[in-house]
Amino acid sequence: MAFKAVNLFRAMGRTSAWPVVAASRSTDRSMPVLARTLATEAPEAPQEETRPTVRKFDPIQRSNLMDYGQYVAECLPKFVQKVQLTAGDELEVLIAPEGVLTVMTFLKNHHNAQFTNLVDIAGVDMPTREFRFEVVYNFLSLRFNSRIRVKTYTDEMTPIESICSIFPAANWYEREVFDMFGVFFVNHPDLRRILTDYGFEGHPLRKDFPLSGYLECRYDDELARVVYEPVELAQEYRKFDLAAPWEQFPNFRESVPAVEDVPLEKGEPEKTK
Amino acid sequence: MAARQTARITREVRPLLSLDNHEARLRVLGLYRAWFRQIPYMVRQYSLIVDEDMARAKLRQKFMEHAHVQDIRVIDMLVVKGQQDLKEVAENWAMPTHIISKFFKVTVDDRPKDFMSKFLSGQD
Repeated sequence: MAFKAVNLFRAMGRTSAWPVVAASRSTDRSMPVLARTLATEAPEAPQEETRPTVRKFDPIQRSNLMDYGQYVAECLPKFVQKVQLTAGDELEVLIAPEGVLTVMTFLKNHHNAQFTNLVDIAGVDMPTREFRFEVVYNFLSLRFNSRIRVKTYTDEMTPIESICSIFPAANWYEREVFDMFGVFFVNHPDLRRILTDYGFEGHPLRKDFPLSGYLECRYDDELARVVYEPVELAQEYRKFDLAAPWEQFPNFRESVPAVEDVPLEKGEPEKTK
Repeated sequence: MAARQTARITREVRPLLSLDNHEARLRVLGLYRAWFRQIPYMVRQYSLIVDEDMARAKLRQKFMEHAHVQDIRVIDMLVVKGQQDLKEVAENWAMPTHIISKFFKVTVDDRPKDFMSKFLSGQD
C-alpha cells in the first residue's frame, strides 16, 4: 500500500466522525473536520421513522458510514467506482476487479477501519450485463462494530484475484463461488468443487442453468449401479405469466429507496475498465 | 467504421493462466500426459469394467472433442476442469459410478440422426 504520510494524517483527521476514534487532530488543509462533518450531517439527517414496520436506523451512524465511504473513495480513486448506501444504513463500495487485493488490504489493515473479519463472499448472475457476474464481499469490523460490503464484477472467462492471501477465510467461500458460478479465482491455493457432487456438470446458480440440471440419475437393474443420463423432459418449455395485475404493497410505495448514492467529492472517479 | 469494428472484435482481456498459444498447448499436453499415466492406476483402484486400452482411447477422444477450440482462455478453463477431474480420480474421491457415467456413457444411446431411426424412436 503506497500511502503518503499526508494521507495518513488526513485519514486521522477525517475519521473523527467514525465511532470510537475520539482524538481528532485536524490536519486537513481544505476544511476543518468538525465543520465538514456538521455540514454533511445537517441536511442529511432524515426524518425520524414512525411507521411501525419499517426498520429504524441511526442517522449518526448513517452519516458516519457516508463519510467513511467518501473517505475510501478518496483514498483509492483508481479502483472505487461508486459508493452507495442500501437499505438505509448499509455501506457498499463498488470497485473495479483489478483492485480487489488493494482494496481488501486497505480495508483490513487501515487502522481506522479494521475490517478484519470476512463474513461472506457471494455471487450474483445478471446475464444481460457485459460483465455478467457480480462478486460480493461482506466484511465486519469488530473494533468499530461496523460492516461494509464490497462489490466487483467479472464474466465467465475473466479471472479475479483470490484474496486468500489476505483473508484465509476466503478459501471455501471462493471455492463456493467458483462451484456455483464458474468464476475463476487466480492464485487460489485449492480451487475445486465444494458443494456439487463429483462428476456434476455445469454451475448451478448461473441463470442459464436449467432447473432440471443437465443430468439425472437412476438405479439401473441390469448394471446393478447408479447411472447418470442426460435429462429428457416429457413436456415442452412453457412460459408462465406470474405477475399479478394489482399492486402488492401499496403502503411501501414511499419507503426509503433501496439504493442511495453517496456523492463523491472529487466528481467522477477514474475509469479503469 | 472499420476502426470501430476492429476495436470491438479485438478486446484486451486478462489471461486466465496462459499468456500465449504455446503455453496453453504445453498445459494441454501436460494434462494429457498426467491422465495417460493415471489410467493404469485408475483402472486398478476402481476395478472398472473397462480395460486400459479402452480408457486410453476414451482419453484421446475426450481431448479431440475440443480440438477446434482456439480461445486461449477457454483452453485454460478446460485444462483447469480436466485437472480437477484428474485430482478427484487420483485422490480416490470419486466413485466408480462417477467415472463410468462421466466418461463411458454405456446406458445412453446416441440421439437418432437419420429419418428412419428418428421415426422408429417416435421423434419427428
